[in-house]
Amino acid sequence: MTTAHAVPAEALEGVHAGDRLGRLARIALYVGIAGLAIGACLGWSGGETEMRHFWFSYLVGFTFLLTIGMGTLLFTMLQHVVGAHWSVVVRRIAELTMANFPLLALMFLPLLVPLMDGSGSLWPWAGHYEGGDPGHAALLEHKRPFLNVPFFLLRIGIYFGVWIFLARRFLQMSLDQDATDSPDPTVRARKWSAPSIIVFAFALSFGAFDLLMSLNPSWFSTIFGVYIFAGSFIANCAWLILCARWLQNRNLLTTQVTVEHYHDLGKFLFAFIFFWGYIGFSQFLIIWYANLPEETMWYKDRLTPAWEMWSWFIVFGHFALPFAGILSRHVKRSRVGLLVLASYALLMHWIDMYWVIMPNMNAPSLGGPADGGTNPFGLMEIVVSVGLCGLFVSALARRAAKHPLLPVKDPLLGDSLAFENF
Amino acid sequence: MAESTGVLEDPIRKPALVQGDNDFTSITNIVCKVAETPKPPKAWYVTFGISLGLLGGLGASIVYLISTGIGVWGNNQPVAWGWPIVNFVFWVGIGHAGTLISAVLFLFRQTWRTAINRFAEAMTIFAVICAGMFPAIHVGRIWVIYWVFPIPNQMDMWPNFRSPLLWDVFAVGTYFTVSLLFWYMGMVPDLATLRDRATTRIRRMMYGIFSLGWTGSNRHWHRYERAYLLLAALATPLVLSVHSVVSFDFAVSQLPGWHTTIFPPYFVAGAIFSGFAMVLSLAIPARELWGLKDLITTRHIELMCKVIMATSMMVGYAYSTEFFVAWYSGNQYEGFAFINRAFGPYWWAYTIMVSCNVLVPQIFWSKKMRTNMWVVFIVAALVNVGMWFERFVIVVSSLNRDFLPSSWNYFTPTAIDLLTLAGSFGLFLTLFLLFCRYLPQVAMSEIKGVMPQSHPGHGSSEPDPNPEPDPDSDTPPQQGALA
Repeated sequence: MTTAHAVPAEALEGVHAGDRLGRLARIALYVGIAGLAIGACLGWSGGETEMRHFWFSYLVGFTFLLTIGMGTLLFTMLQHVVGAHWSVVVRRIAELTMANFPLLALMFLPLLVPLMDGSGSLWPWAGHYEGGDPGHAALLEHKRPFLNVPFFLLRIGIYFGVWIFLARRFLQMSLDQDATDSPDPTVRARKWSAPSIIVFAFALSFGAFDLLMSLNPSWFSTIFGVYIFAGSFIANCAWLILCARWLQNRNLLTTQVTVEHYHDLGKFLFAFIFFWGYIGFSQFLIIWYANLPEETMWYKDRLTPAWEMWSWFIVFGHFALPFAGILSRHVKRSRVGLLVLASYALLMHWIDMYWVIMPNMNAPSLGGPADGGTNPFGLMEIVVSVGLCGLFVSALARRAAKHPLLPVKDPLLGDSLAFENF
Repeated sequence: MAESTGVLEDPIRKPALVQGDNDFTSITNIVCKVAETPKPPKAWYVTFGISLGLLGGLGASIVYLISTGIGVWGNNQPVAWGWPIVNFVFWVGIGHAGTLISAVLFLFRQTWRTAINRFAEAMTIFAVICAGMFPAIHVGRIWVIYWVFPIPNQMDMWPNFRSPLLWDVFAVGTYFTVSLLFWYMGMVPDLATLRDRATTRIRRMMYGIFSLGWTGSNRHWHRYERAYLLLAALATPLVLSVHSVVSFDFAVSQLPGWHTTIFPPYFVAGAIFSGFAMVLSLAIPARELWGLKDLITTRHIELMCKVIMATSMMVGYAYSTEFFVAWYSGNQYEGFAFINRAFGPYWWAYTIMVSCNVLVPQIFWSKKMRTNMWVVFIVAALVNVGMWFERFVIVVSSLNRDFLPSSWNYFTPTAIDLLTLAGSFGLFLTLFLLFCRYLPQVAMSEIKGVMPQSHPGHGSSEPDPNPEPDPDSDTPPQQGALA
């Protein structure tokens, strides 16, 4: 029998945020409302084009937060399914974050406007889609049984049903564990975790197909779900590092989350940046090599003058640079080093989502100008994303104030506290 | 204590990795006994005899093939890749579990790997040998096989660097080299133990040469562990790269059924899936035969079953995504390829593939089944069958109905095809049985590192806290370093 480490009494200090998060919740809420209001005004005042720009920006921000939500949910389930010890001290941060899924569902609602107004301004299949090529219309007719508004809404409803249910379930089991010395809730969470991950995997993949891949309804890629999964996990690792640091700067979880846990989160971040590069490269190579127009168009849209630099930036900025940056053990164990790289990785994940979504707005393959128009990046994207993040953080801070920031009675907490890397 | 307490019943306490009343000495004895006993069990002779017979069949079939030509196989137009490439991909896949267990599980601190890593790594190397053989004999003119390497020559003739087949040469070659190094380096301390226990001159010399003068000094251990960690980190990307490159052989083409972007991760998951199944197929009889049940416990088997289940689901995910996107793409050729695959002339192969790879492993949801050795053994065998058929389905069902219906052709293997496949199993098992007989099957030094006795401060019966400097020291480094 391996013996578990005991939980020292001081480990339970600094786990209740109480009103220390109140200010954050308020400020974030104001920022959120202001950001969205400014974005909406910019869109409204700029006419049809700017309104479209607003919806695309909104989808970027929404997807960015959705991937954080999915990443944290998957992280939580993964820790249970493998029975991990090291991660217990950071798991509650993930659990509190994933409980934002109802908010994410709410955030989806505005997207019903471009979906249902018949313009097809966001998802072209939802409106009068002419396409860049006469063949596309026939293709769209073929996909009609899948890509139609009622069925799309039903699916989105199912995905959010799955996410909300799982997130609540796993948070609840963890909170139940806080109240009892018996390991039953943890055992239950483990039993739930394996089947839940299966359901989750389909929700994530088809969610990615629906929300993102169908932005260009002619394009398809079987690996696309895995690509979004890789991004979600990067977002999760970076998010946990940043949240833990932020809490520690406010004298919360100061003794519990140690350099060892950061080191492991850093390793995970590194591994998934690598994995993301692997998946992204696989997708590109296979499409580039076979050179079939129905697939290459997606990359061609991103190699127009408007987007070419962004594409290169994705390759180097999302993969090569952070790969070299986090490779070193020294960096993963450095306070500043990891903080900088985690912030950078999260920013790059946002840029990745931007790069996946935004080029569809003026894509040559969707009937846009052949050179992809001008790159739309500007104030709009920033204010909308900052606004959505504000709401997200505000809800999270409100929730975090109510619960302990650590699964205080988790049977593996002692092991996690005493955890050391070799 | 009961043989197995699974993880689920008690989240806090995991059963010890080594069961029974064992200490460092008894571990050494259990493992070394296999190599030291004058006569292996009868079953070893029987299986070795059969394996040698099959190996002879392989030799004969290859001689016949080379002296006659590729026409002795069932390969035809349009199924030009046929049987040998199916076998190649199958064996490369089998070779995946080794690196995953030795490198990836090491980085994930999965200490249970110590009981099976040696085993799995050996299996990897032999499987890659079998795999490498098939493309080599498939080229037809095996005497110019060195042309696959970019060797400067007076003809100024180079292989096509844009061909994934050449990438394969590099990927599999690198994989083989690193796996061999990893396997061998990990074995050095154990070889030294065998050397020090050797009773005959020849044994002492052979083990002595290969243990590279290992004395078990602190400095040796220190360097050994650094090297092990580095090799693990270097080998980890190889787990992804080898089978990804193998998948590129198919996926970068324009052939419907081959050309799909999910192939790289899908092949990797399938490879790990089949590799673990093969580890189980070998470990279950081996632990029975050589009394290794205290080391390779029911829990080890159960954990491997869980890995099989997880990878089975990933493969199932890939099957369903492929099918969905074949329809969603709206590409009529893509759609036809998949309908043909499931309902065409090879529907039976597709049915075997889906049943064995996705349906059968679902039985492992039950703990009772995961801990029943007969069930596990049968499921592992079925998974191997299923994964062989997966490659058959991918290669043959995608090729046999060409773009021109006039060139459609049904592929049927010949007797030589079947003999070569059976013979490759002969090669694999011969090498494996020799390994079992002469080399330490279980990493003694590593397994000692995960025993409670090696934890600092463990109130154990470990006799001497200050052992005398002992050249053949069995004492492994402290737990933290290896586990």
